[in-house]
Amino acid sequence: MTIARVALAVVLVLAVAVLVAPPGLDRAFAHKEKHTPEQLKAFEDIFIEQVKLGDLLFHGDGATEKKMGAQLSKTGMACAMCHPFSSDTHPHEFPKFQEQMNKFATLRDMINWCIEKPNEGIKLAEDSDAMKALEAYIIWSNRGAKLDPGRH
Amino acid sequence: MARTLNGPEVTPDQSMTVTRRTFIHKSLITAGITAGATTYGWLPLINTIDLAFGQTAFKFAWLSDTHLYPKDVNTRFVEKAVRAVKEIQAMNPPADFLIFGGDLAQLGDPVELDLGADILKEVKIRKVFIPGEHDWYLDMGAKWERLFGKQPWTFDHKGVRFVGLDTVSRGPDYWTAKKMTPKERMGHMATLDGSVAGAWAGVGRDQMQWLQTTLGSWQKNRPVVIFTHNPLYEYYPPWNFWVRDWREVHEVLKGYTSVTNIHGHTHQVLYNEIGTMRSIGMLATSWPWPYAPEGVPALTKCHLRADPGDHYDGVGWSQLTQSAAGKIEAEYVMWRKKEHLIGEAAVDSGCGDNVNQPLSPRLVDREWTYPGGHK
Repeated sequence: MTIARVALAVVLVLAVAVLVAPPGLDRAFAHKEKHTPEQLKAFEDIFIEQVKLGDLLFHGDGATEKKMGAQLSKTGMACAMCHPFSSDTHPHEFPKFQEQMNKFATLRDMINWCIEKPNEGIKLAEDSDAMKALEAYIIWSNRGAKLDPGRH
Repeated sequence: MARTLNGPEVTPDQSMTVTRRTFIHKSLITAGITAGATTYGWLPLINTIDLAFGQTAFKFAWLSDTHLYPKDVNTRFVEKAVRAVKEIQAMNPPADFLIFGGDLAQLGDPVELDLGADILKEVKIRKVFIPGEHDWYLDMGAKWERLFGKQPWTFDHKGVRFVGLDTVSRGPDYWTAKKMTPKERMGHMATLDGSVAGAWAGVGRDQMQWLQTTLGSWQKNRPVVIFTHNPLYEYYPPWNFWVRDWREVHEVLKGYTSVTNIHGHTHQVLYNEIGTMRSIGMLATSWPWPYAPEGVPALTKCHLRADPGDHYDGVGWSQLTQSAAGKIEAEYVMWRKKEHLIGEAAVDSGCGDNVNQPLSPRLVDREWTYPGGHK
């Protein structure tokens, strides 16, 4: 009886693993084998592609906005006009209390505040591709900054 | 180079004193007040730097970096340019002249430049102009020169030799080989943190020669004021917060003991001394740039962090007043600071975060397919 239950559990776990595996991969595990340089390159390419998309959005590129279904500004202002090189975005300080929102906020909250207020654009869904790309660009630009969460 | 120029005995004219004080600028109390006034305070405070030179009392005003879009794209920049122009016209006693320090337009569009020229018509006093890069690179200065004439220029006024230089038009050609359209060329130039346009800010050998000749007839101990769009020293090259040939400029200026460089482009409170030259950065009316992650002059006390939710904050214009006692005050008319213009504590200072802010140039600039052509 006990053996049968264990066997059933193992079968179920394997079934779930197969179901949640991304297309093209036969399992959802990580770090079972050494990575190949090609794999590492592929992982990095996925990240850098998002950084570049975020960069273009951040600099007001209309074609990229259209492609990603975003309208980040209606005033001609782009994020980079107040934040060249993504300066003064302080991704390493989030989450924190954000004065102008009067709440404990994440970087994504702040990105949306800037889109809605100074830029008069349309807020992004928090898990949208455009939001993730903007986040990737901002954090990549500030890589090397010391984590300092909560700092005003 | 700065160390060499700033030897132990070398500073700008010792009769100059720098003081900082703030006071309510009464003429502005009746100026247009908009949303946010009650929250952020609407009495603008003015930071004063007292300089001593010249012989007779007079004032002049500085306005720059209005970055106008066509009216149907952005009305905020238009409103602020109009407000500044009205305040300059209302100065009492009136200014002897207005220097417009460049970046009237955002994308060099003739519509933008015509709009700016129209707004500036409100100012009836003498006006002199130097261009910014945003005014130039759509048609390589053709419209600008039709509206505002050619640079460089010089004139003497009440004991001071004034010089206006063009620091924007001598950028290296980054467009021909890549077959850019004029709009693409302008787009790269209008991106402060782009690297495609490169080290475009410079005085150039021809203009340097002109400057040398122009100053040759001026006694070396008499005051010289040089207006430029970019600062005449190295602050932060990646954003062209410099001119690339600033070392040569200082060779030309060597021996002149009272040189004041007044510049735009940086959109922030800035002060520096290099050799015998002092340099003062002026505010924009459009938006404030953040302080660069490095290179902020040690003599600069950074302004209070700007409020991104209030587009009248961190911006304004400047008036320079020479008193009968021979003092000149360079006053920042920053519209929206309640009590303090300068952020003393790191947490309040516009450059207080620089110590933990390593930044990287854009990756997309390294690709042949430039922004706008992304596949």
